Amino acid sequence: MNPAPTASPNAALSAEQSAALVDLLFRLADDELVIGHRASEWTGLGPIIEADIALSSMAQDEIGHAQAYYRLLHDLGRPDPDTLAFLRGPEEFRCASLAALPRGDWAFSITRQFLYDAAESVRLEALADCSYRPLAELARKVAGEEKYHLLHGRTWVTKLGRGTDESRSRMQAAVDAAFPHALGLFEPTKHDRTIAAMGLQPPELALRDRWADVVEPVLAEAGLSAPAGVEPVYGGRAGRHPPELAELLEAMQKVYRIDPAAKW
Amino acid sequence: MTDTQWPVFEVFHQQARGEPHVHVGSIHAPDAETALVLAKEQFGRRQACVNLWVVPIGAISATSYEDADIFQHGSDKSYREAYGYETTKRARSIGDTQEI
Repeated sequence: MNPAPTASPNAALSAEQSAALVDLLFRLADDELVIGHRASEWTGLGPIIEADIALSSMAQDEIGHAQAYYRLLHDLGRPDPDTLAFLRGPEEFRCASLAALPRGDWAFSITRQFLYDAAESVRLEALADCSYRPLAELARKVAGEEKYHLLHGRTWVTKLGRGTDESRSRMQAAVDAAFPHALGLFEPTKHDRTIAAMGLQPPELALRDRWADVVEPVLAEAGLSAPAGVEPVYGGRAGRHPPELAELLEAMQKVYRIDPAAKW
Repeated sequence: MTDTQWPVFEVFHQQARGEPHVHVGSIHAPDAETALVLAKEQFGRRQACVNLWVVPIGAISATSYEDADIFQHGSDKSYREAYGYETTKRARSIGDTQEI
């Protein structure tokens, strides 16, 4: 008989429940790691140094949250966080396509980050009261940083949306491009029902409605419009990604893979 | 040289409620709202912080360094320093940071 990987919290979970929890944690972690890496691609290149530092700092936040989610996975018997981040191939990642898309211009990165942070805020609000205590505690712990991220996004989106003709048109183009992928953050999975029944979080499409309630007033205030009737881009939660994810992972994992046993 | 960047805001940082806001530096931002958002990462990320102020630099009136002599005393005014008080002595011996 195999010993339980850690003493308690998951001991009472069925195999189906355990698989659902693990899947949810991988989605949370991989979204954070990949979008954090994309945000970090602005380090040294931001439009002004103040904006550069703020986004770079947010990138560190996201990567830190990813590490914390990977630790929860490690506590459930998965490999350590570095192995999960640096030694998995793209098909093993569960991030949504929104996180993986290339950096684009500042308008796109800001819009992507805002749509993502709005999604994260509704998800974390639900998870803060979830039945798996380590996850509930983590959701509460990162809430402050995420609150700032949303404030940062809302400020930029409204300023640029109401700025010049050029900033407005770039922002609308960014919203049009990012929106179908943002809807894909709420790709339903086969675990949705189990996750809801376990008291972890509501089904994805219910969270999407809450997300729309956060996003739409901000876009309206910015004078921007969400494209109507677009098809969500799905696939990320099942391991099917745009080719840019493989490119991102190759860059991010390259040094670690030279010598995975090296001590950092 | 002309500064072609955004306006400058001076940033004041408060470590705990009731403590004074202390000037920590300045940042460029298009307006006060954005200045607060950007100042949070510039100045709030390395030390404890509960509150930030940003003030447009143009709102600050200052004395001139050429007039720094107005602060010099023409005669001994050490009586103004109030070190004769018991509380002041105790405060100095404990250090400024600790509450008495």
